[in-house]
Amino acid sequence: MTAGPAYPRPRADADNRHFLDEWREGRLALQACSSCGHKFFYARPLCPNCWSDGLTWISAKGEGEVVSFSLIYRPNDPAFLGEVPIALAEVRLTEGVALLARIVDANPASIRTGMRVGLLPKAEAARFPLPAFRPKGA
Amino acid sequence: MNRSIGILGYGQSVYVKKTDRTLFSFFAEVARQALTSANLSKGAIDGLAVCSFELPPDNAVTLAEQFGISVSWAYLGTAGGAGPVASVINAIRAIDAGHARTVLCIAGDNYDVAGHYRLMDNFNRALKNYATPHGFGGANGLFGIVQRKHMETYGTKREQLGRIAVGQRASAMLNDNALLRARLTLDDYMNARVIADPIHLYDCVLPCSGAEAVIVGALDRAPKGKGVRVLSGYERHNHPPGEVAPLRGGWELFRDALYRDAGYGPADMDFVQAYDDYPIMVAIQLEDLGFCKKGEVGSFLERHSFAWDGSLPLNTGGGQLSCGQSGAGGGMIGLVEAVRQLRREGKGRQVPTARRGLVSGYGMVGYGHGLSTSSVILECVQ
Repeated sequence: MTAGPAYPRPRADADNRHFLDEWREGRLALQACSSCGHKFFYARPLCPNCWSDGLTWISAKGEGEVVSFSLIYRPNDPAFLGEVPIALAEVRLTEGVALLARIVDANPASIRTGMRVGLLPKAEAARFPLPAFRPKGA
Repeated sequence: MNRSIGILGYGQSVYVKKTDRTLFSFFAEVARQALTSANLSKGAIDGLAVCSFELPPDNAVTLAEQFGISVSWAYLGTAGGAGPVASVINAIRAIDAGHARTVLCIAGDNYDVAGHYRLMDNFNRALKNYATPHGFGGANGLFGIVQRKHMETYGTKREQLGRIAVGQRASAMLNDNALLRARLTLDDYMNARVIADPIHLYDCVLPCSGAEAVIVGALDRAPKGKGVRVLSGYERHNHPPGEVAPLRGGWELFRDALYRDAGYGPADMDFVQAYDDYPIMVAIQLEDLGFCKKGEVGSFLERHSFAWDGSLPLNTGGGQLSCGQSGAGGGMIGLVEAVRQLRREGKGRQVPTARRGLVSGYGMVGYGHGLSTSSVILECVQ
């Protein structure tokens, strides 16, 4: 199904299955609460704002900006050793939701706070177990 | 907080990088030491609190089985590095409510660097599913994000944060139990290899094996001059909710109550034992606990020195940054050092003026940051 390194993968469960299926299509699915409208990441059984379990899925535009980031030279899993440093960022989506995600297709030294990033297109998304971003215009 | 109840004794194991010893063997060693230090025998223990990542599937009750003791109160910490300080707060309340008379609080783990990586990859469902698949580098990667945000938001500099690591190492050189005892200069700190930029080597703790313990009970049972009163104590979990990498923690919510209950302020603390998984988190604790304003810790760090004989004695045994992080034991190392100082048993690193001090915990890393915070203010019983 996917080529590339044997990255550790998230465990699919009832909460996140739709999110994982969507990412295989290159889309980033967020949850939105039917009761209070709160949008959030990562996939959960309850709205953390109002505790409703009436949750729907929305597809994020896939655009955001780097809030802060770390360049990781010592990843835990050896699957990542061939591509250090791993650029792990807090990304704030235009929907207002923040998440942790890798910034790829970028010279690590060029990554900056405030940089605009977009979701990887589907063809490249397949390589990564979770939504990853690249600089806008890359 | 009932001021007639406090800490009667303490124990600390030797820290080792690798070991064939069992976790229970470390626990027994520190429990024995703590009993000796409190001048009590095993039969006196009727309450047991334990904080340990490697303990499951065992727990506080099965530890009682291993120890061959019968207890009327059992507590299993779930707040990571904030758990041990929280366990002492809860032990005092349990004794005050009559659930137990003498509580043994233990914290520790027996693992190494590889074991620490395995722990972080499986720490909780959010990290396992949404951080591990990114190659997140464990806590280093997450706190790299926090530190960069603090540096870029407030202008905090690495050479300011480095003063924490350098000061603590000067104290560790006088602690036989510390794993890292070679002198550390600010140049060493600045030029160390990068781990998870902006986190470098001397921002990180060395995962190791070891354990810590204290005994909580009525202070009139303490050996003469050796009791330690807990003036105030609070814990807070999941503050602020919903943020990935906040520059503040639960300390900011209970700070005012902590000092009000104690009857003292930050300037009255003769030392601080702050949870030091990273210098940036010590810095954030100093802000949230009112030693300086939010965002101003950089200049505060420049104005002060942090060795045992510095202007603000900080983690006076060397802390986790120099002693090593014995898993959940890292949440009790500061508490035990505080008790040692207040009993005037600090030997070569005794803070001459030590009458009272603050101990702070932090832990349970979730999706981006530690969820749990705890603090106590301690005072020696004259």
